[in-house]
Amino acid sequence: MTATSVTPTRPADASWWHGRGELVVAALVLGLGIFLGIGTATMEVPPGSGVPGPQFFPTIVSAGLGILGVLLAIQVIRNPEAEVGAGGSDDLGMDPDLLGELGDIDTTSEIRVVASATGDDVPRTGTDWKTFGFVLAGLVGFVLLLVPLGWILAGAVLFWVIARALGSKRPVFDIAIAILMSSAIQLAFSAGLGLTLPSGILSGVFSWLG
Amino acid sequence: MDQLTHLLEGFSVALTPINLLWLLIGAVLGTAVGVLPGLGSAMAVALLLPVTFSLDPTGAFIMFASIYFGGLFGDSTAGILLNTPGNSSAIATTFEGHRMAKDGRAAKALGTSAMGAFLGGMIATTLVVFFAPYLVKLATLFGPAEYFALAAFAFVAISSVVAESVLRGLLALAIGLALAMVGIDGPSGAARFTLGLPQLFDGISIIVITVGLLALGEVLHVASRIHRDGAVTRVSAGGSPFLNWSEFRKAFPAFLRGTSFGVPFGVIPVGGSEVPTFLAYGTEKKLAQRRKDPDFGGRGAIQGVAAPEAAGNATAGTAMGALLALGLPTSATAAMMIAAFQQYGMQPGPLLFERSADLVWPLLASLFVGLIILLIINLPFAAVWAKLLLVPKHYLYAGITLFAMLGVYAIASAEMDLWLVLGIGLLGFLMRRFSIPLAPVLIAAILGPLAETELRRSLAVSEGDLGILVGSPITITLYSLMAIAIGFTLFQALRRRGAKKREAVGATRS
Repeated sequence: MTATSVTPTRPADASWWHGRGELVVAALVLGLGIFLGIGTATMEVPPGSGVPGPQFFPTIVSAGLGILGVLLAIQVIRNPEAEVGAGGSDDLGMDPDLLGELGDIDTTSEIRVVASATGDDVPRTGTDWKTFGFVLAGLVGFVLLLVPLGWILAGAVLFWVIARALGSKRPVFDIAIAILMSSAIQLAFSAGLGLTLPSGILSGVFSWLG
Repeated sequence: MDQLTHLLEGFSVALTPINLLWLLIGAVLGTAVGVLPGLGSAMAVALLLPVTFSLDPTGAFIMFASIYFGGLFGDSTAGILLNTPGNSSAIATTFEGHRMAKDGRAAKALGTSAMGAFLGGMIATTLVVFFAPYLVKLATLFGPAEYFALAAFAFVAISSVVAESVLRGLLALAIGLALAMVGIDGPSGAARFTLGLPQLFDGISIIVITVGLLALGEVLHVASRIHRDGAVTRVSAGGSPFLNWSEFRKAFPAFLRGTSFGVPFGVIPVGGSEVPTFLAYGTEKKLAQRRKDPDFGGRGAIQGVAAPEAAGNATAGTAMGALLALGLPTSATAAMMIAAFQQYGMQPGPLLFERSADLVWPLLASLFVGLIILLIINLPFAAVWAKLLLVPKHYLYAGITLFAMLGVYAIASAEMDLWLVLGIGLLGFLMRRFSIPLAPVLIAAILGPLAETELRRSLAVSEGDLGILVGSPITITLYSLMAIAIGFTLFQALRRRGAKKREAVGATRS
């Protein structure tokens, strides 16, 4: 989180959607509001639930979600931003302007110290959907494979895929690290803390180990 | 001096070998997650919650408490050496800290920050011990309406007062409330938003929400950026971390000034330590200008590291007090601590000191012991901890993912939880992508059920009369404070908008 309020210029040939990607969020919020609204209206309320019943709070929240979704959509359509959220990974929602004022921060001394190192001069446009996709696929694969393959193998595959996607250059060496990691976790948590992790196709091996 | 007797009893529990071991484990883990960029103590507590179910609660909480402080000890390391603050609580330290590092005084900067964290935490914790019983006495006056006002106060403060955009803050709040509503409604027994799935009857575990938002969301966000961001250069941490007499004389008043900024902010829910650390930094900067100190902003001044670090840990110290005595979480990490209490079937708040005194006082005592352990493992060995920064990012995030999945699966061995955490991880990614704050989701998910129950309870008592919500001096005070905070935010926003407009008129281009 840097305290700069950069206003990037919009390329002339940009499509209408450029900088309006957040409409996806607005649509999701609106959808969630509608889903909760329907759920609230069709809720089966057991008799004798008291005056402010189980539908009371959900009504407020779903109405709030609906209103906020519409407001967000209006704001995004009126003020598209070229690259929202491309800043640091630790956006905790603090207002940079507020912090800047509190800390007497000025753009010439402090900001340059932090900003240059976080790479403001490196091209950092756009989301890397390829890497993102690999990581997501690894996660989905893990959930699907966990029970049939067992923790050690599924966990090792997950570790390997993510390390590879995030730029590891040593795939063979990674196999060893991945298996070591997932086995160490299995040993520490099964033996030490008594958690049961699925053993999958390696269950035969464990029967003589444990 | 009832507190002293209780505290001494607490020490007798905290100093048993097994609890000292938990303290040490917590201190090491906390420092490690603090040093590693992208990890925070909130995430560490969330990941450890499911795997510590088998421990006795006192041991688990002693460990969580030292993780809580440990994260603040380690967080300045990446900022000072790499110039990339790993957590937002370390940004203010980074400015002067990295200047000192480039000047060849990296070890000194690390040492100063460890001492600052120690002193700030110590002073704040001492205050908590002496004031907590009074807070508890105040809190016994709380009924349903007062508790609802407190939760509403936390919601408004976290989502609007400090948020970059009030709209996005409220959005995050509503999402958190929505997540918390899933499951069987306690008072009536009605199934809410479960889609008829029995796996959802118990609701979405707070661990699933936290791990998804903070851990998987972060991993996905890093994945979408890692090949875009530039490399950083690391300064090595040579030299002695200990301050000599003249340096200590410079730093000591700054420690105290920082602490005095941090202490009040622990009990105000404005999202943690960012505001006080920046305030402390700003004050040191103005003081340096007044005494015409050329180091500040040049070679790096020791006061610029000392004050924000002390402020950060002082905030964490008093936040612990607000958390235990009032049940009011003032930051994401504090919210996770509340979740931890709830996992063990306890609700922080005034009743905690009565019902679970055998847990609270050892916990408070262990805060002191934990701070001493943290100072011992941080001050001389800061350079050793800095070696953690050499762990390649791809292994680091692969490891985080593995632990995240383990933690979630460990809750109930349910595949459903894994799908849920994936979905919430995607939500966390989207929220990071579009600068929607995460802390309001966590606070809402944790305090949401409490707010709903207390609201319904007070309305049932008054038979639907909304007047009961503002019917006591405490609620009136809380709502007035809320109104003042909102008014201040609006005023600030309008003033800034005016300033921006003038700028835009002044600039000729575009």
